[in-house]
Amino acid sequence: MAKVIKSKAKEPKSNTPMLIIGAVLVGAVLGGWWYWSSQQPTPATANANTAANRVTSTPRPNTIPANAPPGANPPNLAGSATAAVTLEEFADFQCGSCATANPIMNEIKSLYGSRIKFVFRNYPLTMHDKAYDAAVAAEAAGMQGKFWDMQNQLFSNQKAWATAPTYKQLWKGYAEKIGLDTAKWETDTIGIAAKGRVDADLARGKAIGVSSTPTLYVNGSAIQFTEMTVPALKTMIDAELLKATSQSTSPAAANTGNSSK
Amino acid sequence: MTNSEDLDPPKTPIAKLPLAAAVVALVGIVDSVYLTVHHYTAEPVPCSLIEGCDQVLTSSYAEIAGVPLAAFGAAAYFVAFSLAILTAFGDSRVWKLFGVQATLMAGFSLWLIYVQAAMIGAFCQFCLLSAATSLILLTIYLVSAFVRSKTDYILSV
Repeated sequence: MAKVIKSKAKEPKSNTPMLIIGAVLVGAVLGGWWYWSSQQPTPATANANTAANRVTSTPRPNTIPANAPPGANPPNLAGSATAAVTLEEFADFQCGSCATANPIMNEIKSLYGSRIKFVFRNYPLTMHDKAYDAAVAAEAAGMQGKFWDMQNQLFSNQKAWATAPTYKQLWKGYAEKIGLDTAKWETDTIGIAAKGRVDADLARGKAIGVSSTPTLYVNGSAIQFTEMTVPALKTMIDAELLKATSQSTSPAAANTGNSSK
Repeated sequence: MTNSEDLDPPKTPIAKLPLAAAVVALVGIVDSVYLTVHHYTAEPVPCSLIEGCDQVLTSSYAEIAGVPLAAFGAAAYFVAFSLAILTAFGDSRVWKLFGVQATLMAGFSLWLIYVQAAMIGAFCQFCLLSAATSLILLTIYLVSAFVRSKTDYILSV
């Protein structure tokens, strides 16, 4: 019987295992390459057109009800408060997707300037342990007129602080970097005013039914995260601007038409 | 017993376990390759109230020196797969190496589960699948070691 056991180690050499191993290696490389190829983005313009059609022709089910709580007042606003197109973003500073969307929003803000009204709403999700504090930290920076600077610091350095036990020290570093009075900022981060603003934004988001971040509303209609690209947003905003322009000119046109009869 | 040289090792309980290990390692390879490609290409998903987002995959723990952990995982699973296949086809000398490999992988997986739970505060389902497969690999090795020692004992009596 002992001979039986020993004989197992003396199997005749076969190429089969090496062939299987080679096939799996080739299969893994080819499979990875195939998946990688399938994940490459399609031309953004195609998405942009689709997104624009949805905004202009299809009513979105998820819209902001008129009686929703107003959120923090005054809101964190970029552009012009009287612009015809309003972009309202609900975001969480600890959400990776929100950090990804931030440069896109910045580009849109700089592209359109005062032609749009861009409002940022804090919507810290409970699943993110530092998100609420981060929102308060940004609001505290806003009390010194540096909300957007702090927002950019928090998003661009998200990976560094999101898992760091000393995250508040890192935030203080960002506060110093953007030129805040850090003593006042630290006091404001524990004050009721900044928290009150975050809570007001949260209440608005909850009333609207925001269920994920980032959620963006263009003139009250929710935009899917996959549509939050610069080309797609540009097409949507341009369409909304055009709509606003035609609406503002149409009564005049109608009057002209009536008078000509 | 004169025909003992003709015994087909894969039909014995010990040889079936390496074959099972190879299949499990194959699942690990597919999972790791998916996560590796995902690391470089995937669009981030929104963070939902009820589901985790890509916190784990986009965290600072997801890569070492710019190389995604999943790529190391894919290489480790490939080594485990190769050792298991070689064993299943009769080269039982490498099975102990498989044991060492499976132990290292299972240990590292446990550490990654701890990182997800305690440091990131979120779980990634494909990472958990990888942890499960590596723990299964170790279990298979331990079972095989147990079966072998028992068989040896019975045969030696």
